[in-house]
Amino acid sequence: MNRESLIKKWLDHDLSPQELEEFKQLEDYQDLANLDESIKGFKADSITTDEALNSVWQTIRSQKTSTNRLVSVLSKIAAVLVIGFGIFYFTTTLDTTSSTLVAQQEQIQLPDASEVQLNAMSTLSFNSSKWDDNRSVTLSGEAFFKVAKGKKFDVITDAGTVSVLGTQFNVKYRNDYFEVTCYEGKVAVITNMKSTTLLAGDSFLILDGKYIATEKENRLNPSWLNHVSTFKSMPFKEVLAEFERQYEVEIEDTNIDKSQKFTGSFTHNDIEIALKSITLPLQLKYSKTDNIITLKRD
Amino acid sequence: MAKPLNDNICEEQLFSSIFKKYSKDLHDFLYYKFGSQLNPQDKMQEAFVKLWENCAKVPANKAKSFLFTTANNMMLNEYAHQKVVLKHRQIKPKHSTNLTPEFLLQEKQYQEKLERALANLTDAQRVAFLMNRVEGKRFKEIAELLGISTKAVEKRIYGALKKLREDIDEL
Repeated sequence: MNRESLIKKWLDHDLSPQELEEFKQLEDYQDLANLDESIKGFKADSITTDEALNSVWQTIRSQKTSTNRLVSVLSKIAAVLVIGFGIFYFTTTLDTTSSTLVAQQEQIQLPDASEVQLNAMSTLSFNSSKWDDNRSVTLSGEAFFKVAKGKKFDVITDAGTVSVLGTQFNVKYRNDYFEVTCYEGKVAVITNMKSTTLLAGDSFLILDGKYIATEKENRLNPSWLNHVSTFKSMPFKEVLAEFERQYEVEIEDTNIDKSQKFTGSFTHNDIEIALKSITLPLQLKYSKTDNIITLKRD
Repeated sequence: MAKPLNDNICEEQLFSSIFKKYSKDLHDFLYYKFGSQLNPQDKMQEAFVKLWENCAKVPANKAKSFLFTTANNMMLNEYAHQKVVLKHRQIKPKHSTNLTPEFLLQEKQYQEKLERALANLTDAQRVAFLMNRVEGKRFKEIAELLGISTKAVEKRIYGALKKLREDIDEL
């Protein structure tokens, strides 16, 4: 057998014992054996298959969960954005509402230069985001409006709508009582019963479902702005109701004809004087215990 | 391969068995081809992760060539024509007793020469040669792993031996 095929067989680990002897007789056998010995030193790092397999599984699983994690992170971000936009949208389109308590007045600045003075126990709401297109406020209670010039301005109450172009007027809506008084400019009042236009000094009153003609108003603004409530031929029960709104009291009124008319005023600042103001003209007596006021005939 | 495996390798069981069958060979292949500095073990594991990601697309009997090709490509991406460095592990044959300083020096020089000579082989030669000499694989096994003929393996290994001896004599 020639030298080359011997070496090849040796390389292929395929020598028979007899051939091996032959191979060892080669002149460069020692050389080859040395080389072979040294080559073995270049052995690759050994790997532990099980460990490597475990780490492969770990990588595979962590990749799976990491995509899951990515999805969950993204969905969290999305949720925050949705909620954020939701709140943003909700709050910007939400009506702004102002309410007053008993004996409280509040001045409200509308998105344009218009001003509203809100009397006690009243609620006013408006939408500031749509203000440019739609100047309208919803009112329950009593308020005095100084409307800046501009487009139509609506005051919506359950009893009717008051539309103006730029003026000063007072709207009072309490239960069966709906009164609009125009102090300046021109005001349109639209109710189910009657629609009319008020000029400065005109008043419009619906009481217990009936339209009531009223005298010309010659004040420049409603008296309540100066903490005085004024009545002209009003049923006494309306006076008492207003009194309860301005002082935190309850009025017990046995034996009194509450439909009798009252003309006069009471202050918001001194309950004793106020009580005298409303009782003396009608020859009534009053007694006061804590927050309960009892009215009696003289 | 003993029998063609046609099952779906997305099965953990089958995937594990493929891993046990090829992980060492794949690692050795990468090690001898590209040297140790490119982290052959990591690349080997990455290749298996890639195999898992594509388990639905790769039939079991193509898994081996998928692994070798994938790992090889990943290596080539990082390879950037670095010179292959094979670390010598200095596992001394136990029976060498004549450890005179002179001998040790000779030995050291010889190793250095061998290292350089190995690096001078072509990738194909080095892989086949080291798998044969170090891992003790027969030509036929190497041919199967690399997907080439036994004759070609023989040629590479014999060629490598010749070239090594020439280089060592020269150096």
